[in-house]
Amino acid sequence: MNRIFWKIRNSLAFKVILSTVILSLGVVWITGSALNSRLSTGIKEVNLNSAVVEARSTIFTAEYRFLLAQGEKDFVVQQVVDDVIASATTLTSNENTREVVFIRSPGNTRPINYEIASNLLDPKSIPSSLSERVRKETDLVWQYTDMRYVPGGKVPGLAIGQKVQIPNAGQYEMYIVFSLANEKTTLDLINSYLLITGIILLLLIALITWLVVRQVVKPVREAARIATEFTAGDFRQRMKVESQDEISTLGHAFNEMAESLEQQIARLENLSRVQQRFVSDVSHELRTPLTTLRMASEVIHSSKDSFDATVSRSAELLVAQLDRFERLLEDLLEVSRFDAEVAVLEAVDFDMVQLVNRCAEDLALVAKERKTQIYVKSVEPVIMVKADIRRVERILRNLLANAIDHAEEIQIDVQIVASEHDVAVGVRDYGVGLDENALTRVFDRFWRADPSRARTRGGTGLGLSIALEDARLHNGELEAWGRPGRGAHFVLTLPRKTWESIDRRLIPLQPEDYKA
Amino acid sequence: MTLVMVVDDDQDLAEMLGIVLTGAGIDVDLVSRGDEVMDVFHNNPPDLVLLDVMLPGLDGIEVCKLIRAESMVPIVMLSAKGDTQDVVRGLEAGADDYMVKPFRHPSELIARIRTRLRRTNADVSGLLTIGDLAIDVQAHQVLRAGKQIQLTRLEFDLLVALAKEPGRVFTRDALLSEVWGYRHSTDTRLVNVHVQRLRSKIEHDAEHPEIVITIRGVGYKAGVMGGS
Repeated sequence: MNRIFWKIRNSLAFKVILSTVILSLGVVWITGSALNSRLSTGIKEVNLNSAVVEARSTIFTAEYRFLLAQGEKDFVVQQVVDDVIASATTLTSNENTREVVFIRSPGNTRPINYEIASNLLDPKSIPSSLSERVRKETDLVWQYTDMRYVPGGKVPGLAIGQKVQIPNAGQYEMYIVFSLANEKTTLDLINSYLLITGIILLLLIALITWLVVRQVVKPVREAARIATEFTAGDFRQRMKVESQDEISTLGHAFNEMAESLEQQIARLENLSRVQQRFVSDVSHELRTPLTTLRMASEVIHSSKDSFDATVSRSAELLVAQLDRFERLLEDLLEVSRFDAEVAVLEAVDFDMVQLVNRCAEDLALVAKERKTQIYVKSVEPVIMVKADIRRVERILRNLLANAIDHAEEIQIDVQIVASEHDVAVGVRDYGVGLDENALTRVFDRFWRADPSRARTRGGTGLGLSIALEDARLHNGELEAWGRPGRGAHFVLTLPRKTWESIDRRLIPLQPEDYKA
Repeated sequence: MTLVMVVDDDQDLAEMLGIVLTGAGIDVDLVSRGDEVMDVFHNNPPDLVLLDVMLPGLDGIEVCKLIRAESMVPIVMLSAKGDTQDVVRGLEAGADDYMVKPFRHPSELIARIRTRLRRTNADVSGLLTIGDLAIDVQAHQVLRAGKQIQLTRLEFDLLVALAKEPGRVFTRDALLSEVWGYRHSTDTRLVNVHVQRLRSKIEHDAEHPEIVITIRGVGYKAGVMGGS
């Protein structure tokens, strides 16, 4: 049942065929019944006319014979009655039997009774309503009825009656009952033919509809298939246009759209390639003069003690800013690699705990300058992972540097948790924290939580965004939590084998120490 | 005096490199085109070559192959691209080490040059054996059945580092610090490429190494094959 509903909902062809068949069924039904009723009325009318003529002559003959038998003895009258019945029934053909019934009129009290029905026909086959009309009328009266026989069985029939006077016996009602069995058979036959014709007609209509619908639906289905493949990235797909009808108009329109889309995509791809190439070239071209600059500044810096205070300070600033410039250049280059999707992973086996500790040690001095400290806690002494160590180190350094920047002279807690399948590193600081707006944008490029805040470490503004890309490149995830004034929590989760995906989060993003 | 050949097409950078190296007491030969390198090399053989990858005339990688074909002199590549492919191509062409522009500090460059020039394993004396190889550390020779195998100074250092502590498993980081003089380097490509190059010279079948054995997930160690 569900399948049928599904088909109705999802197949245009099925829908059209179903509604056509239902509508045709109504039309066939109406014409069939009209035809049926016309035919049966027609047949009955023909029969009625001939039956009335036959009955009239039979009854007339009977009346005439009874008239001749006037004044005869009772047994002669009996003979006449039998004769009348015999002649009336003998006339009948095999197919269309007819019976004769004599019923004594009520109020007739003569001692002799000629009440009789031929061939064991039950006299009750004559409806009382007909009897009443026969008594009132002087002419013939007829009515359809069922012919019931005493041994059982019945056939449809037509009863025609009139009053007659039987000598010495008074008033009787004489009925001729015609069997309509043959007519019923004919009508039944016609009905079954009508039914069969109707069914065949419906099947033909369904077939024709299917053929017609297919002509329309097939190209539509084809268009849908091509559109799907187009969406999947095969931009060369085109519809076949073979005719001049509306379907071909659809095909032309679709192909034009596909053409224009393909061009647009190619144009955009080219544009992004050119742009990416440009960024990459610029970065590379900048490297050589930057190298010269750096060395020159180092040479100047190394002899800054021989300069006066302002020149000496300028040399320091020069070196520091070149450092910053270089970091920015590196980050830009990395971002352009991510954008061009050419960043590749070089997975090696290494110990995550050792790496975290090393990063923490490297940044310990910076942390000390900012009057904070990094505490590393691991559930296991060694956690081996297979990942791109350069990228993981960069993520960790970015997270730690970010925490140091915002620690507000409170300690930083780093925890490492591992399962069979995943490894997670949580970096928790208790400093300025992040509000909801900041949380949605913290991984955005060049976004700063508070523009007025001094960025003493001279970060590039790309660190966290690169960290997120690095994590995703490992099929991992990097998430941030924070509350204003309550610090922040960054959780890095990586699969222990980089080509797998994360099974579950090992460190809850909302830190356990936080109570709302 | 030590002589370093600096091959770079950027005049300013070459001059700056000259200033820095001269300041560190190193003589410098400046070459600006790739196709001029071999002439200068023959006329005045340097102790070390500092070679830029992108050069007019002849590509730095091709130059590196040419030098390697006739000399075991240490080669340090300079690359403006930190891309893996460039670096690996340079190392495979025979470079011992590489530096990505811009360098963190000029002192870092000088340190690298000094590491490549210094006599490592001065503490080791006499003959070492590893597999069926005999190593004469003083004479800087590797012999198999009396026949000498030509190794670059770096490959030699790598082999000696492994051979002098047979059985010890060296992590890649440990080798980087021991042979290249790096602390805290995470670039293990250097080790991987040079182990491959070393194997291609000393192993009977580089696909199934018996002298420098990989310990999966850890690093390398010297094989303890019989036959020494």
